[in-house]
Amino acid sequence: MTTFRATLALLTTGTLLLTACGGTGSGSGATTAAQAPGGACKPEEVKLIGQVRNQTNPYEAAWLQGGDEFAKKVSLTQQRLTYDGESAKQQEQIRQVLATGNVRCSVLNVLPNGDSDTTPIVKQAQAAGAYVVTQWNKPADLKPADYDKWIAHITYDGKESGKQIAHALITAIGGNGGIVALQGILDTAAAKDRFAGLQAALAEHPEVTLLDQQTADFDRAKALTLTKTLLTKHGDAIKGIWAANDDMALGALQALEAAGKSGKVAVVGIDAVPDAIKAVSGGTMTATVSSDGPWQGGIGLAMGYCAATGQLDVSTIPTRAFFAKQFLITKDNAAQFATPKVDPAEFECANLFKRATGPIS
Amino acid sequence: MTADRLQTYGPTAALLALAAVFAVLSPQFRTLGNLQNLLDAGAVLAVVTIGATYVLLLGCIDLSAAGVMGACALAVSLLVANSRTALDLGPLGVLLVVALGAAFGCLSGALSVGLKVPSFMTTLGVSAIGLGVATVLFAGVQPAVSDPWLLQWASGRWLGFTRVTYLAAAVVVLAWLVQRHTRLGRYATAIGGGEDILRLSGIQVGRYKVGAFTVAGACYGLAAAMVTAQLGSGIVQAGAGLSFAAITAAVVGGTQLAGGRGGIAHSMVGVLILTVLANGLVLIGVSPYVQRAVQGVIVVVAVGATLWPLRHRLEVVK
Repeated sequence: MTTFRATLALLTTGTLLLTACGGTGSGSGATTAAQAPGGACKPEEVKLIGQVRNQTNPYEAAWLQGGDEFAKKVSLTQQRLTYDGESAKQQEQIRQVLATGNVRCSVLNVLPNGDSDTTPIVKQAQAAGAYVVTQWNKPADLKPADYDKWIAHITYDGKESGKQIAHALITAIGGNGGIVALQGILDTAAAKDRFAGLQAALAEHPEVTLLDQQTADFDRAKALTLTKTLLTKHGDAIKGIWAANDDMALGALQALEAAGKSGKVAVVGIDAVPDAIKAVSGGTMTATVSSDGPWQGGIGLAMGYCAATGQLDVSTIPTRAFFAKQFLITKDNAAQFATPKVDPAEFECANLFKRATGPIS
Repeated sequence: MTADRLQTYGPTAALLALAAVFAVLSPQFRTLGNLQNLLDAGAVLAVVTIGATYVLLLGCIDLSAAGVMGACALAVSLLVANSRTALDLGPLGVLLVVALGAAFGCLSGALSVGLKVPSFMTTLGVSAIGLGVATVLFAGVQPAVSDPWLLQWASGRWLGFTRVTYLAAAVVVLAWLVQRHTRLGRYATAIGGGEDILRLSGIQVGRYKVGAFTVAGACYGLAAAMVTAQLGSGIVQAGAGLSFAAITAAVVGGTQLAGGRGGIAHSMVGVLILTVLANGLVLIGVSPYVQRAVQGVIVVVAVGATLWPLRHRLEVVK
C-alpha cells in the first residue's frame, strides 16, 4: 500500500511539473524572441543535431548521412541521436541537448516518434530558444506558425505516393486484372493515406479489381508469409501487388520467387530503400517512391543553420508546414537513385523551400 | 476424461477443430499447396518456440529472441556469400551463427544463475546487447545474401515442401528426443517442477539451467539463419516480436509459464494453432481491421477452455 501511495504521489507531482513546464514554455518563448531576434550566432557557434529512431534501417541511416554532408559543407559536425523508436527516450534526449551548451545556437532536425511526441519537442525547443525542424509526424492542430523557433514541419503526401505507385502498377499489368494490397500498420496516418491513394487510383480504373487487402504491419517477414497465403488464395488471378512500403514489397518479392513467379507479378512499394531500387533496376519490381532521405537529413539542419546565422528570417517564410516533393522511381531513372547523394546547392539559404509542393491541408 | 489428459489433448482438439472450421469455410484451405505453405510459414516460429520451451520448462522466461536473432541474422548474412564482405563460408557460416546464438544463450543463463537475477531481466538485457551488435554489423548498409545454398533453403523444394520446413521438422524431432531421453531434457522439466528438491538431492541445477538457455540461444541462431534465407538479406528486425509469439505458442499448446509441465510436443501444437489461425483468417476473408482482435479472442478462448478443468489444481497463477 505504501508503495502504491508513493507511486501515486510521484505520478501526481510529475503531472503537475509537466503542466508547469508547458505553461512556462510558451511564456518564456515570447520573451526569448523579443530579446534576441534570429541571427545572433556566429557560424562556428552553431550546434547541429539530427535525431531519428535508429540507424538499423537504410532510410534513417541515409538521413543521418545527409545531415553529416550538410555539416561538412559548413565545416561543422552533426551530433547523431537515435532513440530506438521509444517516445520516452526521445523526449529525454531532447531534454539533454537543450540543457547543455549554447542552446540558442542549437539546431535540431527531428523525426518525432509519433504525432503526439511533436508537441513537447517543439514546446521545449521554443522555451530553450533552440531552432527545430520536425518531419513526418505532428498533430493536425499544432502549427509552426504559432512558434518562432519551430522553423518548419516537412512531410509527404501519402495519398499522392500511394496513387503514383498504383498508377505505375496498373500500367504494368496492362490496365486490367486483379491486384492485392499489403497495408501498413492500420492505425498510422501513413498507412491510411497511402491506401486512400490506391483507392483513388482504382476508382479511375474500374477494370482493375482489388482482390484482397491485408496488413503486414510494414514488416518484411510478415509480408512474406502473408503473400504466400494470398497466392494460395487467389493463385494466378493476382497480376500485381501494391505494398504500402518497400520492406513489404521486398517480402512479397521473396514469396513470388519461392513460388516461381518472380517477374511475372508486378510489385510496387514506397520509400526507395536500396534493395528496392536494386529490384526496380533489375526489373523484378515495378516502382517505388523516394522522399529522399539524405535531403531530409540535411534540409532541417540547413534551415536551422540559416536561421541561427541570420540568413533566414523565420517570420517571412510563407508556408512553414508543407508537403515536400517526392520522386517516382521506375526502371528508367533507378540508376540515378542507386547511390543516395545530396546536391549542396539545395542547402543554400535561398533554396531551402524549393521542394515545397503545397501547404499541409 | 481426466484433467491431465485434457491438458495434453485439449490443444490438439482445438487445433483440429480450427482446421475443420477453416476447411469447411474455405476450399483453398484444404489444398496440399496450403499445407505446404502453412508448414513453411510456421517453420521459423517452431524453431524459436523450441528454444523458448526449454527455458519455460525451467520456470524461466526468455525474451532474448529479438536481439539474438537480429545479431545472428546480420552475422550469417555477412559470413555467407553476400553483397558486403568477401567471405563465403557457406554451411560453416551457419554453424558459426548457431554457435553465436548459443553463446548469447549461455550468457543469459550464466547471468541469471550466477547473479540470481530474474531471467526475464537478464534475457531482455541480452536482447539489447544482441540488437546493439546487430546495429554495429548493419553499419547503415543492408547485406544481401547471394549464397545459392542458403537461399535454396527457402526456395528449393523437396516433394513440395521447402527445405526450411524439413529443417524445422528435424529440429522438432531432435528437440523431442533430447527432452525425452537426455539428462538435460529431463532435468529441465524436473527443475521447473521443484528446483529446491533437485538442489537438495545434490544435482547441480545451475549447470542444467545454463544448458537449457544455451540450447535456446542455438535455436534462435538457427531460426535467424532460416529467416535470412527466406528474406534474402540480413535484417536487424529479423526476430522482432518472436519472443512473445513463441511464448504464446508454447502456452497455447499447454506448456506452462510456471514451469515443469508441457514440452516440445505441446508447444508445437501451439505453433500450429497460431499458424493455422493466421492463415485461415486470411483465406476465409476476415477483414484485416478485425483480424487481430479475432485472433486474440480465439487464443484466449482456446487457453481458457483447455485450462478450465484444471483451475482448482493450479492454485498459483503468476
